[in-house]
Amino acid sequence: MDALLQIRGATRYFGGLAAVKDVTVDVEEGEIFGIIGPNGAGKTTLLNLISGLLSLSSGDIFFRGQSLKGKRPHQICRLGIARTFQVVKPFQGMTVRENVAIGALFGASHGSAAGTRQALQAADEILEFVGLGGKANYAVSDITLADRKRVELARALAMRPTLLLLDEVMAGLTPKEVGDMMDLVQEVNRRGVTILVIEHVMRAIMGISHRILVLHHGQAISLGTPEAVCTDEKVIAAYLGERYAKGRFVRNEGAAEEEKTVC
Amino acid sequence: MSPQVIVNGLLLGGLYAAVGVGFSLVWGVMNVINITHGSFLMLGAYVSYWLFRLYHVDPFLSLPAVMLLMFGLGYLLQRYIVNAVVKTGVFMTLIITYGMNLFFVNLALLLWKGDYRSVTPEYAGTGLQIGGLIIPYIRLVAAVLAVVLTLLLQLFLSRTRVGNAILATALNKNAAQLVGIPIGRIYAITYGIGAALAGAAGALMSAIYVITPFMGEPFIGKAFVVACLGGLGTATGAILGGVVLGLAETIGGAIVGPSYQEAISFIVLVLILIVRPEGIIGRRFFAEVK
Amino acid sequence: MDSTAARAKPLTVAIRTLRSSRWAQWGVVGGLLLAAAIFPLTYSGYWIRLLSGMFMYAALASSLNIMVGYTGYADFGNVVFFGVGAYTTAILMLKVGAPLPLAVLAGGALAALYAMLLGLPILRLRGHYFAIATIGVQEATRELVVNATSLTGGGAGLTLPIPDLTPQQFYRLIYYLMLGAMVLVVTVSGLIRRSRFGYGLRAIKADADAAEISGINTTWYKVAAWMTSAALSGIVGGIWAYWYSYIQPPDAFSGITGVKYFIMTLLGGAGTLVGPVVGAFVLELISETVWSRFITLHLGVLGTIIVLVVLFMPRGLVPMLREGFKPKAWWKEFQENWI
Repeated sequence: MDALLQIRGATRYFGGLAAVKDVTVDVEEGEIFGIIGPNGAGKTTLLNLISGLLSLSSGDIFFRGQSLKGKRPHQICRLGIARTFQVVKPFQGMTVRENVAIGALFGASHGSAAGTRQALQAADEILEFVGLGGKANYAVSDITLADRKRVELARALAMRPTLLLLDEVMAGLTPKEVGDMMDLVQEVNRRGVTILVIEHVMRAIMGISHRILVLHHGQAISLGTPEAVCTDEKVIAAYLGERYAKGRFVRNEGAAEEEKTVC
Repeated sequence: MSPQVIVNGLLLGGLYAAVGVGFSLVWGVMNVINITHGSFLMLGAYVSYWLFRLYHVDPFLSLPAVMLLMFGLGYLLQRYIVNAVVKTGVFMTLIITYGMNLFFVNLALLLWKGDYRSVTPEYAGTGLQIGGLIIPYIRLVAAVLAVVLTLLLQLFLSRTRVGNAILATALNKNAAQLVGIPIGRIYAITYGIGAALAGAAGALMSAIYVITPFMGEPFIGKAFVVACLGGLGTATGAILGGVVLGLAETIGGAIVGPSYQEAISFIVLVLILIVRPEGIIGRRFFAEVK
Repeated sequence: MDSTAARAKPLTVAIRTLRSSRWAQWGVVGGLLLAAAIFPLTYSGYWIRLLSGMFMYAALASSLNIMVGYTGYADFGNVVFFGVGAYTTAILMLKVGAPLPLAVLAGGALAALYAMLLGLPILRLRGHYFAIATIGVQEATRELVVNATSLTGGGAGLTLPIPDLTPQQFYRLIYYLMLGAMVLVVTVSGLIRRSRFGYGLRAIKADADAAEISGINTTWYKVAAWMTSAALSGIVGGIWAYWYSYIQPPDAFSGITGVKYFIMTLLGGAGTLVGPVVGAFVLELISETVWSRFITLHLGVLGTIIVLVVLFMPRGLVPMLREGFKPKAWWKEFQENWI
């Protein structure tokens, strides 16, 4: 069976600089696929290429066999791809519930048939799921950053996506909040959503990803399980540093606290 | 199409450059679309008129006085009114300057009534004759002075401390504040300069166009076009924009008929916005960085 | 202390009920509409005409609100659609003998078509560029109308066919037409607000990129909003043309009128449902008072009001009334904004 998302030679230039160069990779349905790399490696650009906010300079991206090239962001959303932003982009002037309802109203699952009342109800359910049930009526500008990230996640989930793109959703969160978010992301994945996640918080991404892609200067330099990537010399050389050279790693799955070591 | 049309276009263009440069500066530096620009132009024309009427001052010689007065007025308005809303965005400043404009037009109506006035120095109506071309002295001097003023502005911005502060503020307001530039005062100075230049344009025009309280209105539109064509905040861009607009109007008027001249300038404006909002020179300034 | 507290209570209770209870709000609206409907049967003359004007401005401000308040696009030149509607109605009635309802609806339809054609290139523009482009369109259209003499009568204007009614009947008809127009626009605006379309517009206003990736076809939504606003303004323009019977380009495409109802929208509260209506009534009332007593100060007073509203009440009357006036918070915000 074909992979859910097939990236083939994706390249994007900004003037003379290649932000993403010739990236070819498959994302399998049902996995949590991590992308890491130093700042400027091209991670967000790649996400922008997939979600349609940027156009490909060359190469192509296929979702369920369908080319995404030339499609506008809202069309790509309708196909079943949802995303969050590195710097959260909530809809100011609307409540938390209304923000999430937008996802339900316009996303993949409902198309043009959904009414606002059903959307608001769906929003409430999803807010419960992400733990924001009590704050549905708050103005989105009145809540903490961590909560705003959850709103954005909830909005993306309301679109009933097949593929969810998360861009540094852990940034700015306290360690406890990171743990909560990791659990949430894994729960979403358990419910059948394929997830592509960009992260800098190593503990998080190493802990939840099934496979990891490493980008450096816009190019893919390593692909494999977190353990494999940890021990890959190229990756260590480019990015991870001394501490991770040994590469002992335990996955964060129900293991007791003492046994967890971060790669 | 005769060369006279080109000459007319160039002369008009020089004048339009003067009309547009102050507007472009204020927009480029502070992201303020200053509708009051029309009033400053009108008031400059009236000051020039009264100096001529009462003290027989030649309109071109009245420039320094006009510019000084307008600078003062502009400075005060910015410092105490517009500065309160600059942060809230370009629409609010647009609307507030629109309100101020109405106020000044009404003031002029009350003080000087709606009668048509004009400045007619002795050399009015005379001009150079080269080959078959007629170049009226007044328009020639006005165009030349307009270009000179614009270039002086450019020198001021690039060579003086205050000018540099203005440019710095335009490029990065926050960084400018961090190095100690008093933004509020810089904005007031910039707006004052814009007003002075508008007033100067008005004085230059006092011998060319009829002076009424409403004379500034059509020039606001021209100022838009000049600013957009030339690129915000650049003095040389204003000259280019002015000339392009002037030529477009005279040539277009020669082809389609003079009554379409106004329509042409607005159509040019809309086209520019659609095709290339950064203008011909296309330097990205404050208003672009958002 | 007790007696003042006892006296104050009914008023505060009334305001509180009004703020919270849907029934109370609908009751007030229904009552006002009923009063408005009955009004011409008892009074006539000056007040009828004044109210007709207020309804007209309320309708225009509400239609503008769809672009400015809901979608967040500063459509400064909206009056161009008013003018297109006016001229379409006039031309159809004069040259083709079309009946009023058809002519007015055609005015709205043509205005919407104009918005669609212009919308595709112009709505791509960011904020203030869009605003200027709309002014450019307005001015250019006016000039083109002036030049198309054979069709539009050019600068000399057009005279509509005079209806076979007594003055009193005529002004009553206009009153009801404008009242109907206002109710129509506000109803449409209210329906949009609660609908999927309205949510989409608000999302676009908040963050167009985020709206786009949420599945909203921002281009079409913006065009649709503009077409709706244009159609409604066009219909009002058509009724206006019939009312005034003689129209000229500077009146149909009047920059001052356009600014007036833009300010009304802001004054009342852009983005709210009733804000524009409130703003229209308040500003028209002030305008009429000034006009009748101090005709030479008309522009200046309007200008000063504009300055004051922007300086001191940027979000408009209705939000301020809803949340209650908090002087300390307001002053703090004002000072923070001052550069």
